[in-house]
Amino acid sequence: MKCGSGIEARQVDELFINIDPIQAGGRLTADAMKAVIAYGDGYSVCDNCRKPNRLDYISKPPIAEFHRDVAKWLNMDAVRTVPGARRGFQAVAQTYVKKGDPVLVTSLSHYTEFLAVEEAGGVAREIAADEQNHVTPDAAATKIEAVKRESGRVPVLAFIDHVDYQYGNLHDVAGIAKVAHQYDIPVVCNGAYTVGILPVDGKALGVDFVVGSGHKSMAAPAPSGILAATAEREKEVFRTTSIVGDVTSRKFGIKEPAMMGCTLMGATLVGMMASFPHVKERIKHFDRELANHRIVMDALLSTEGTGCLSEYPRKHTMTRVDTTASFDKVAETHKKRGYYLQSALEEKGITGVIPGATRVWKFNTYGATKKQAEHLAAAFVAIARENGLAVKD
Amino acid sequence: MSKRAVDMTFQAIFTLTDLRVLLRETAPSHEFDADQRARAQRLLENLERQVGSIRQEMLR
Repeated sequence: MKCGSGIEARQVDELFINIDPIQAGGRLTADAMKAVIAYGDGYSVCDNCRKPNRLDYISKPPIAEFHRDVAKWLNMDAVRTVPGARRGFQAVAQTYVKKGDPVLVTSLSHYTEFLAVEEAGGVAREIAADEQNHVTPDAAATKIEAVKRESGRVPVLAFIDHVDYQYGNLHDVAGIAKVAHQYDIPVVCNGAYTVGILPVDGKALGVDFVVGSGHKSMAAPAPSGILAATAEREKEVFRTTSIVGDVTSRKFGIKEPAMMGCTLMGATLVGMMASFPHVKERIKHFDRELANHRIVMDALLSTEGTGCLSEYPRKHTMTRVDTTASFDKVAETHKKRGYYLQSALEEKGITGVIPGATRVWKFNTYGATKKQAEHLAAAFVAIARENGLAVKD
Repeated sequence: MSKRAVDMTFQAIFTLTDLRVLLRETAPSHEFDADQRARAQRLLENLERQVGSIRQEMLR
């Protein structure tokens, strides 16, 4: 079925249980789908834009209220919506990083944090994760001292992932922020996998900024996200324009240069807004998500040779597993080679595992019902048995 | 044509969206439990009523 010339209607989540690691938390709620339909036209949210003509001041639909609510929900002082978490990183980096400045990231940081540093002219300096793939306050202190020794100055900014994209491990952001603040380094908490998934309290974490991803974790269309700041940092990153045209003498009111004026518009913004009440509710029940994830993990780990590369027991529903000594052994002789696993999963109504991956791969069960989690568990066990792998009862 | 026709068209799309979400929640088997069956029943009845109203408004 087509929804436009050459565009197949996407029915992935209607026909399959989708365990794609980056897609699970961004699946739209029914209200978001309805909002997208109603506000799909380009400048749809601007019908009632009045002076001072900035998106976050619009009250109908309640965009201004949404900004206030998100700030309160994250226990931060100001919020702007952004077209993806990466644009939040970029806005902060552009504010604090000058050419040659060292900036802390981690060995598990998302690539867009690196690009934000690069674009601002900075130099990325990675805090190394330990053997358990945790980034610790001690490692942060060690790295800051090393940067100080090498360059004679401390990093100007730190990007710390709350839950990293590689292992889905939860890191001690509060501890790292405490260390960084001893050196007056502002801290950005990358909450792309936590904001909208589990409770996040910016003040409790002690960070200067919280960045969230709408399309990754807030049941919103792409590209969408939020950048939250403390009152102290708000004035810096959300500074207003002062530029004047030399011919026209034009000025641009209270537009914010780091936001490139108005930020997220139309379907992306209203989709995020429509999901927000549901997102606020769902984070209170993350224990249910972990319980469902455990059903799938227990099944996977019951197959001999399968290991969990993420921290265990799991604190997040996105997990990296190692099936080199189980599913990959089958791939060596299977006529479909490494593609048999994805193929077998699809036959059982499951999608989202990278085609051909049988060694190290990630999956995310966020949003799956208990019944769907049991289906996933049964499918993994059945595929193992069908292919002669030993499964512990 | 009337505002009612527009409202009912949106309502019908929203009802179909609720049905779509039900399909997502029950993928891949789409086997409904008693609650889901009752939900589907209610939504389909609403949809029929909404389509009836659209027909009435658009084709009168």
